[in-house]
Amino acid sequence: MIRRFYLVYGLGVLALLATAQYRGWSFASVNEVKNVPKSVRDNPGSYRSTYIFYHGYSGGK
Amino acid sequence: MTERKSNCPNCGAPIQFRYSSSVQTVCEYCKSILVRTDLDLQKVGQVADLPPDPSPIQIATEGKYGNRNFVVVGRIIYQYEQGGWNEWHIVFNDGASGWLSDAQDEYAISFRKDVAKLPSQAEAKLGKDFRWDNVAFQVTSRTLAHYLGVEGELPFQYWDKTDVTFIDLRSSGGDFATLDYSDALPALYIGKAVDFDDLRLQNVRRFEGW
Amino acid sequence: MPTPNAPSGPNPSKAASEVHVRSLTCPGCGGPVSLRSFGQAVNAACENCHSILDAQDPNLKILQQVKATEKFWPLIPLGKRGKLRGTVYEAIGYQYRRIQVDGVTYGWSEYVLFNPYQGFRYLSEYDGHWNYVSPLRSLPKALAGVSSQYLGQTYRHFQTSDAKTSYVIGEFPWQVRVGETVEVTDYVAPPRVLSSETTGDKETTWSLGEYMNGSDLWKAFSLPGEPPPAIGVYENQPAPLGDLPKSIWKWCAAFLVGAVLLVILNAATSHEKTVFNRSFSFDTSATGEPSFVTDVFEVTGRSAPVKVETDANVNNNWIYLNYALINEDTGQAYDFGREVSYYYGRDSDGSWTEGSTHNSVTLPSIPPGHYFLRIEPESDRGHGTIAYTVTVSQGAVVVSWFLIAIALLVVPAVMLTWRSMSFEHLRWQESDHPKTSLNLSQISSGDDD
Repeated sequence: MIRRFYLVYGLGVLALLATAQYRGWSFASVNEVKNVPKSVRDNPGSYRSTYIFYHGYSGGK
Repeated sequence: MTERKSNCPNCGAPIQFRYSSSVQTVCEYCKSILVRTDLDLQKVGQVADLPPDPSPIQIATEGKYGNRNFVVVGRIIYQYEQGGWNEWHIVFNDGASGWLSDAQDEYAISFRKDVAKLPSQAEAKLGKDFRWDNVAFQVTSRTLAHYLGVEGELPFQYWDKTDVTFIDLRSSGGDFATLDYSDALPALYIGKAVDFDDLRLQNVRRFEGW
Repeated sequence: MPTPNAPSGPNPSKAASEVHVRSLTCPGCGGPVSLRSFGQAVNAACENCHSILDAQDPNLKILQQVKATEKFWPLIPLGKRGKLRGTVYEAIGYQYRRIQVDGVTYGWSEYVLFNPYQGFRYLSEYDGHWNYVSPLRSLPKALAGVSSQYLGQTYRHFQTSDAKTSYVIGEFPWQVRVGETVEVTDYVAPPRVLSSETTGDKETTWSLGEYMNGSDLWKAFSLPGEPPPAIGVYENQPAPLGDLPKSIWKWCAAFLVGAVLLVILNAATSHEKTVFNRSFSFDTSATGEPSFVTDVFEVTGRSAPVKVETDANVNNNWIYLNYALINEDTGQAYDFGREVSYYYGRDSDGSWTEGSTHNSVTLPSIPPGHYFLRIEPESDRGHGTIAYTVTVSQGAVVVSWFLIAIALLVVPAVMLTWRSMSFEHLRWQESDHPKTSLNLSQISSGDDD
């Protein structure tokens, strides 16, 4: 009975590994911001990064 | 010798040796021990009253050893300090003579084997190894026993009450052997330890409540 | 006239062929003595006065007078019948024996079972652990002093001790005396135990025991109530996990191979390569907008991790980079920040370093497309110029997943092995060879579950 459980469990672990690799999961904490306007390339300072608020902000507009 | 009918020299009851290998029998009526010579039957002794018999085997019990059938025709009852056992004389379909030993319902079947040099009593110490028939045996017990009684047909003369040494040997493969020091020269019997079920015995004794 | 070749009819001088049970009187106390083994037993101990009597003697001659200072009560009453291994046996005798090991006295019970055809068997009971014992027909082979081989199976030496008979009632097929000792040696191959008993005159008898559950025995003998609870681990008690750890490890190995194959497959299809590499410098004294954007670069392949590495020549200093990886086509940005700091010096213990000039981060699931970086550096004011290099590579391999998979696969196998080893440790604690440290070779193979 435990054998059957481990079989299913092991296949699940391999499935997890395959999915994580295929989908490209990683552990970095990254914040996604959508709809960044093309004008940012001309004016980088206008970009509002959500990350900025978590660390000292010493530059700016 | 073919089977012959004659009469008990003691009480006149009809005596029949049913097996050609038999040399001695016991008159069922008067318990005289009778030995057959070329001419007639000779009384050589008397069997005392036997104690209550615990063995499930009896004369006329039939059984199998491997795929050979046998019938029980006689027995010798032995007694020693720790207890007793039976040696049943069995005869196979092909006329061969063998022994079924029954000690507290532990069974073994063995056959006389002529071997050139057998050890003396002193040589066959407990734990000593010997090799016969390509089987490695080890001495497991040494017993000083005397006969308590005989019954039925036996292939030799036996009614001597003196104590005799029997030395049992076993192998790691279920083989069984006995060295019998009844006579001047030791005799060897070799065979196998068997289960009650292996023997497929029929016509066994019944026990009250079983 | 009897027919030739056939035995004649029933023997007239023989008694009725059915054998009867005998009830006699004890010469010591006058109490009743039943002989249930039809004369097979050689000794019978009176249940009332405990004298040992000659069962072969019609007068039951007394062989040993016994003053019973302690009494034991057999859990299977004498005369009770039960079916074991397809045969009905009757309990006809009981004895209690003791050994002394390391100054501690242990005692156990033994029962004599009888069937008029199959003969004698025995039951032994210690702390709720039962064994069904049969005499051996073959001799075991001694191996290298610490084990014995019987019918192709190896039994390991468990214990040798002197067993003293403390209490006896009922019938026995051998000579028993209260107070007599025999040397007993046990070899185990759970669930079996090979036992030898050597008497003073050096004669050895062998028997084979098979572990039995108290509840199975209670059912076999239809005994009331519950069997005594089994305490601790007994010498030949089958390991509850049996072969399980071994087969789980086999599966684990197979799965690990599978994981390795998956990793290789992933690496082979990942198109790992550097897609951006540029150096910059940050003037910590400068005023004005520090953020800037890089040139556009392309990420190809499937949605995969993207690694961003920062190397900065910080010298007892730090730099913090606010990164945004921005997809030019979709306007999707991935915000993250990285700190690179490196300090070093000397103190009484020698030279020390803290931090690193290199930083790496792997971003998850970046879809293919055209990207640029928006970078906003930060540092302490007025600490000179910090040069740094930014490297972006696509198709990065995240090793952590493989390590997590290994851990997940191995942990259950390790847990089972640990449990099995703990059980075996407990088993061997009671032997002549207690384990001081857990040893993998002690894992016994019990029955499959």
